[in-house]
Amino acid sequence: MNGKDQALVVESTERLLDVLRDRLDLKGVKEGCGTGDCGTCTVIMDGRLVNSCLVLAVQARDKKITTIEAVGTRERLHPIQKALMKYNAAQCGFCTPAMVLAGKNLLDHNPSPSKEEIKEAISGVLCRCTGYYKIIDAIHDAAKEISEVKT
Amino acid sequence: MDLSGLSELRYVKREDGEIKIGALTTIGDLERQVDNSAWAKFLNDVITKFGSPNIRSLATIGGNICAASSSEDLIPVFLALDAKVKTLRKSGTREMLLQEFLVAKRKTALYADEILAEVSFPEPSGRAACSFQKLGMRNILIIALVSVAVFLETDDSRSNIIQARIALNRLKGKIPQRVESVEKGLLDKRLDEHAIKSAVERLGEELTLTSDFRASSEYRCEAVKVLLRRALVDCQQNILGK
Repeated sequence: MNGKDQALVVESTERLLDVLRDRLDLKGVKEGCGTGDCGTCTVIMDGRLVNSCLVLAVQARDKKITTIEAVGTRERLHPIQKALMKYNAAQCGFCTPAMVLAGKNLLDHNPSPSKEEIKEAISGVLCRCTGYYKIIDAIHDAAKEISEVKT
Repeated sequence: MDLSGLSELRYVKREDGEIKIGALTTIGDLERQVDNSAWAKFLNDVITKFGSPNIRSLATIGGNICAASSSEDLIPVFLALDAKVKTLRKSGTREMLLQEFLVAKRKTALYADEILAEVSFPEPSGRAACSFQKLGMRNILIIALVSVAVFLETDDSRSNIIQARIALNRLKGKIPQRVESVEKGLLDKRLDEHAIKSAVERLGEELTLTSDFRASSEYRCEAVKVLLRRALVDCQQNILGK
């Protein structure tokens, strides 16, 4: 759980989303629809994006889970977070944690994605404010920044 | 009951001239099977239009087939690949054609104590061409208004069609099915404009598609002809490109 072992006894019917928010106090994970459509509860589980409303907590046993709380710090933001600010790519902010995670997971697997690949990668997360373009531009920009830092 | 921990049922393998896919293989797992073969292109056509990346991480081949719904996209593709399934219960395994497994809408041939274990299909030859076309209200995370899957195989000289399987979803009151009269009409023909035109016309005569709040039967019947044309043109380009 965000790089640390976490031991919890959970009910068989508890959703990962509720365990993260209510028991581990990770409020960056948002509940939107609760039926796997909006993607605002996205977390990274073993290197793949999942909607935590569709994962039972028991299914997360022995899995590596990353939530927004483990991406960047206040002093050292992740390049995607910085780029989102630069492009003014958040309005209400409700989808933003999921967008950052979707972007991060993409860049972890594909450091220099095309805009089409970015669209595809964030397609499971709905944003009702921005119209997506700024988010796509921001992730594209962050990819360039990361690769420049590396070279 | 959660089966997702049964890693034994999560695989894609080539064995005895067949492609075998474990029922717990996720759609995302298939996405990572990069391959230039016709069947991989076929699966890729459907996978890239399946749910969203988030959904593909969890959704399994077995779950999709066992849902046996009329809107399923994977079922037409597997029907066009002439797939069979293997089921598993304490007393042993059973094998049957996918058509036989899908009994009716939302109903499969599974016994109460039985699970779907594997989907397999004959590995298509190098002369095969496949195409999957889906129409939805948008490109991703959307249920199909109608989808068409086409599998064709040409003879050695790559001219005449020797095998044709065409399946579609959204048939009125039914699970996805093959349209055999259209398939037969293509046999022993060259895949030229004339053959494509007559296949599309024949499909138009055949069908009763479902009417619901998403689209009327009339609209779907028109749309499906366009999808079949696109699929056949896509196959034509695949054949010519080889």
